[in-house]
Amino acid sequence: MILIRTPRQFGVEALGTLGIMLLAAGGLSAHAAGNGEETASAKPEAGPGNYTVIDGKVDQGTYDGYIAYTRSCMACHGPDGLGSSFAPSLIQAAERRNFGEFSNTIVSGLELQPGRVMPSFADDEYVLSNIENIYSYMKARGAGDLDRGRPRVIEEEADEEEQDEEEQDEEETQTSNEEQD
Amino acid sequence: MLRYPGLVMTAAGLLAASLAHANQNQLDLQQNPDFWATQLGNYQGNRFSQLDQINRDNVQDLRAQWQFSTGVLRGHEGGPLYVGDGRLYIHTPFPNKVFALDLEDEGRIVWSYEPDQDSRVIPVYCCDTVNRGLAYADGRLFLNQGDNTVIALDAESGELLWEAENGDHTQGETMTMSPLVVHDKVIVGNSGGEFGVRGHLTAYNVETGEMEWRGYSNGPDDEVLLDPETTTMLGEPVGEADLGVSTWPEGEWERGGGAPWGWVTYDPELDLIYYGTGNPGTWNPEQRTVDGEPADNKWAITIFARDPNTGEAKWVYQKVPFDEWDYDGVNENQLIDVEFEGEQRKGLAVIDRTGFGFLMDRESGELLVAEKFAPETNWADSYDLETGRPNVNEEYSTFRQGVDVNTTDICPTAMGAKNMQPSAYSPETGLLYAGINRICMNYEPFETEYVAGQPYVGATLTMMPAPTQEGDMEGRMGSFIAWDPVAGETVWEIDERFAVWSGALATAGDLAFYGTLEGYVKAVDIETGEELWRFKTPSGIIGNVNTFQHEGKQYIGVLSGVGGWAGIGLAAGLEDPEEGLGAVSAFSALKDYTELGGILTVFALPDA
Repeated sequence: MILIRTPRQFGVEALGTLGIMLLAAGGLSAHAAGNGEETASAKPEAGPGNYTVIDGKVDQGTYDGYIAYTRSCMACHGPDGLGSSFAPSLIQAAERRNFGEFSNTIVSGLELQPGRVMPSFADDEYVLSNIENIYSYMKARGAGDLDRGRPRVIEEEADEEEQDEEEQDEEETQTSNEEQD
Repeated sequence: MLRYPGLVMTAAGLLAASLAHANQNQLDLQQNPDFWATQLGNYQGNRFSQLDQINRDNVQDLRAQWQFSTGVLRGHEGGPLYVGDGRLYIHTPFPNKVFALDLEDEGRIVWSYEPDQDSRVIPVYCCDTVNRGLAYADGRLFLNQGDNTVIALDAESGELLWEAENGDHTQGETMTMSPLVVHDKVIVGNSGGEFGVRGHLTAYNVETGEMEWRGYSNGPDDEVLLDPETTTMLGEPVGEADLGVSTWPEGEWERGGGAPWGWVTYDPELDLIYYGTGNPGTWNPEQRTVDGEPADNKWAITIFARDPNTGEAKWVYQKVPFDEWDYDGVNENQLIDVEFEGEQRKGLAVIDRTGFGFLMDRESGELLVAEKFAPETNWADSYDLETGRPNVNEEYSTFRQGVDVNTTDICPTAMGAKNMQPSAYSPETGLLYAGINRICMNYEPFETEYVAGQPYVGATLTMMPAPTQEGDMEGRMGSFIAWDPVAGETVWEIDERFAVWSGALATAGDLAFYGTLEGYVKAVDIETGEELWRFKTPSGIIGNVNTFQHEGKQYIGVLSGVGGWAGIGLAAGLEDPEEGLGAVSAFSALKDYTELGGILTVFALPDA
């Protein structure tokens, strides 16, 4: 399954070349959407909140968003964006706020009440460079396109194509084994 | 009525005596059964009280006398101190407020102190912004702030006497442990095992705050304060030099964890302190191999016996070489005198994170007993008492199963079969009493890159209740147990719906006390485990139940305020409706019982 999402857009079912290739390789269906165009690439269009999910795997940026979230946000906002007793769900935050508001909170922090503080990440270069990725990851979670846990990255680099094919072959083999079982 | 005779005398004594006798003051306070002068009750870590006004026959009459809100949300670990001056001294999680409360005026605030700390320390805590409590000696209170500042306060006035910088939160270091005062030194350890810090235990002068020594948990021997010729391991010299370097891949010891964030205990006769170190660096074991093979990663997950005067290591015992499950070895080392195979031994007992109960000789460092207190434990089948090494079960080895492979149904979870919640020991029964966790996990290591100040974990985990046997409460995630440390057997066990994350108390009134994550304080018969009394506090309990006597009246005091790792893991992360496991409904049910909020509750008998 391929899901490419941009903010305020819902996916329409379409088959792109990659989807067809995957269908041939692993028997997968494909969904894609992107500003009304029928595209299906593992790379989403640039921009915060965009993401690609193909059969549970994600584009590199969304994966980096997961890692950055887990490193810097999870301690308060709970695993996989779910929220915790200490701080609200960031999935909901990404749904309710546009990117400007979302990133502003990360940069500026919030003081809700004395002793209950969202710290500012203004001087944390690692977080700053990943705000768009975190937003994309949250959007993917919020839309229900991405499950909990650490996603795998879609491998689409040219030098990895061979390996990718091998993996798909393995996948195919596994599938047929399962069928035999 | 003379309200603070103890304090006046102490203050006068302080002027006359050398400060090298701070130890003596703390020892004197501990030996007075009326007081609760250190977080674990005494230097030996026994959490046992000789008081018996509240006992098996009258505990059903125990009533809450008053409650006090700390005004702080999040997890409240540790408990109140009472040193005979008519006040209770309590602390809070970040922002680490300190209160002196008047015990004779239902908790009126005598003074309060709030440090000014950078809020950016908050996300650098791994498992909630907890703090395990104050230490006291010679009219001074000692606190480890989250931002790595160690402070001394004048207990009379709350005035700041000195502060010392013990670490750097921008590099992932924090402090959560309770200091211990020995001689003229206050001994503290850092936290940050999930951030690739380098663990260290440090002694500061109680009077000036100057650093006196620091012993690292890894690196070259001269920084670990270990001499391979004289420091022993299971009774024999360590032998090889710089194992804290050579048992790591190139340079990895510099971010090798081993943070001693748990409890420190002390034997005044042997003049040795005992503590354990945390997990080694990243949770991905593959990144800690040498030439692709498991390496010991010394001295993570190690019990250290050190000379408190110099910090020098007398003996070491690594409980888990090459950790593959995050089994931090920081649990309290209970110093108990036991009869073992017909011989009197100076024992050291620990109900460990690994699911094993250890008994050691605390003088020689020999391993005497290693038996499972949580029978579901499956990562290792047993321990080899000769080598001290666990017999690891390959099926549950996250290294053997491999990177990016989800190793399933490992017991116990990374939280451990028992976490930091300190146990109690009754010299009358010879048993240890402890709240434990009955939770298992799936664990998937992945390649991770070190970024200073960011978590350095490299594994994803999911958790589920441990399998039950006939007669156990279905789906239970905790128990309160009585453990025979010599026989290596559980004597009785009470199942609880949630992990028991509260410190235990044992008393001469034939009672054991503990708290639950729903917020109950419970008293049980120390011999049978039969529940005799319970009270529902406003929030889940991860603090420790302490007792003390003032003006002839025995009190029980406990902080409630759910949180800690239990609060994150149970209240939040595992309630995803997408997960169709039985675990989910059980975990999320905690929200049906309790919410955040720090409260001190003080109990007594109405007619006492």
